[in-house]
Amino acid sequence: MRGSPLLRLILVAGALVLLALPVWQLTRNTTSPIPAKPAAVAEDLADYRVILKSSGTARLQAMVANQPTISSAIGVENFEAVFSMSANEPEDIAVFADFVDLTRPSALRVMVEKSGEVLVEKTFWGTGVVEDVVTIPAK
Amino acid sequence: MCVDGEFGSVRILFFLMAILAVASVRAGAEPVRVASLSTVMADLARDIGGERVEVVEIVKPGMDPHIFEPSPGDYRSLSNSRILLASGLGFEGYLDKLRPVLEKTGVRLVVGGEVVEPIEGACEGHDHSEDHHHHGTADPHWWQSVSNVQRVARQIRDALITIDPEGQGTYEKNAAKLDARFEDLGKWVRLQIVQLPKKNRVLVTSHDALGYFAKDYGFEILAVQGISTSDQPSSQKVRDLIVQINARGVKAIFAESIENPKVLGQITAETGAKPGGVIYADGLGSGETGTYEGMMRHNVTTIVEALK
Repeated sequence: MRGSPLLRLILVAGALVLLALPVWQLTRNTTSPIPAKPAAVAEDLADYRVILKSSGTARLQAMVANQPTISSAIGVENFEAVFSMSANEPEDIAVFADFVDLTRPSALRVMVEKSGEVLVEKTFWGTGVVEDVVTIPAK
Repeated sequence: MCVDGEFGSVRILFFLMAILAVASVRAGAEPVRVASLSTVMADLARDIGGERVEVVEIVKPGMDPHIFEPSPGDYRSLSNSRILLASGLGFEGYLDKLRPVLEKTGVRLVVGGEVVEPIEGACEGHDHSEDHHHHGTADPHWWQSVSNVQRVARQIRDALITIDPEGQGTYEKNAAKLDARFEDLGKWVRLQIVQLPKKNRVLVTSHDALGYFAKDYGFEILAVQGISTSDQPSSQKVRDLIVQINARGVKAIFAESIENPKVLGQITAETGAKPGGVIYADGLGSGETGTYEGMMRHNVTTIVEALK
């Protein structure tokens, strides 16, 4: 091959770069991409009405995971809270009653409704404080 | 009169001496010796038996009961006992070998697994020809459910009453107190677990020992090994587990108190999950986890804090 030595140098260098490129791509240190989480499926939500009835005056509360606790500001005997949760797999509900009378045995009645249908009814007993968890049965 | 008075004093003296003699016999009465192959059942026996019982732990906290084999000294120790406590459901693979010894020496065998409703456990990569560990498909880790432990506590109470009828009142009173504490414990566990959204209730552990806990509180178990620490995971199983952990967005992975957490460490390194802490799956630990209640409170707190 005849011609300018500079041109020959440029051609050889180009050829070497072209040869080295795939090797560099295979061997370069890259962090593997974090696998993308499956696209969030639009969850079917429903309103669950929690109805609390206490046997005496008490501060009543209901709580589910990752949602603010809903509580009566003062002592009451009836209280309702509404939580928006998965229609298919609702969370468990914690219920609390702090009774004004700390000495007498007391009861807390809990009813959970969805679209007017009663899903679960439970009564818990205790003295002074009554607290427990209600699980909505799977359909 | 004087003679009568002296005679009366002597009678009173004899009466007092007789009372003292009876009291000293009672005070010096041998406690009922109870041997235990289960750290959890030993704890129950101590609570129910109180001072009337001496509990000898053949399997001690921190030992791996899956690979434990009784020594000749252990055989002697349990032969000198009135009761032997065992978990059952195949947890003590050597139990069948012990039965003739127990029958010959009149030791009453109390098997916790006989009064619980067994659930099926996973078993894989496990050599069933090994002499030291045989199990069926039932998960033997029944103590991971508080209600199971309440049943076994009643079983131990009844065994103690049969062996030592004089102590019936003590055993019944102590067992009732223990049952009330377990009711509170069960409620406490429910109130802790309720803080975890259901989608977060995935437990990745070394071996599949938390099946009863998972059933009670709606968890899914992804275990590296089967129900025994001697089960070996295949490399394919480890790869599948890594894929599942990433796909489910599992927040934490738990090591167990008596195992080498190397494999779990490797899985943690290859997933986005963090080490969640150590949990007690096969029995009690020491310090705060040296009692059943302490162990459950530690496990539940560790799980909830890591998965919240």
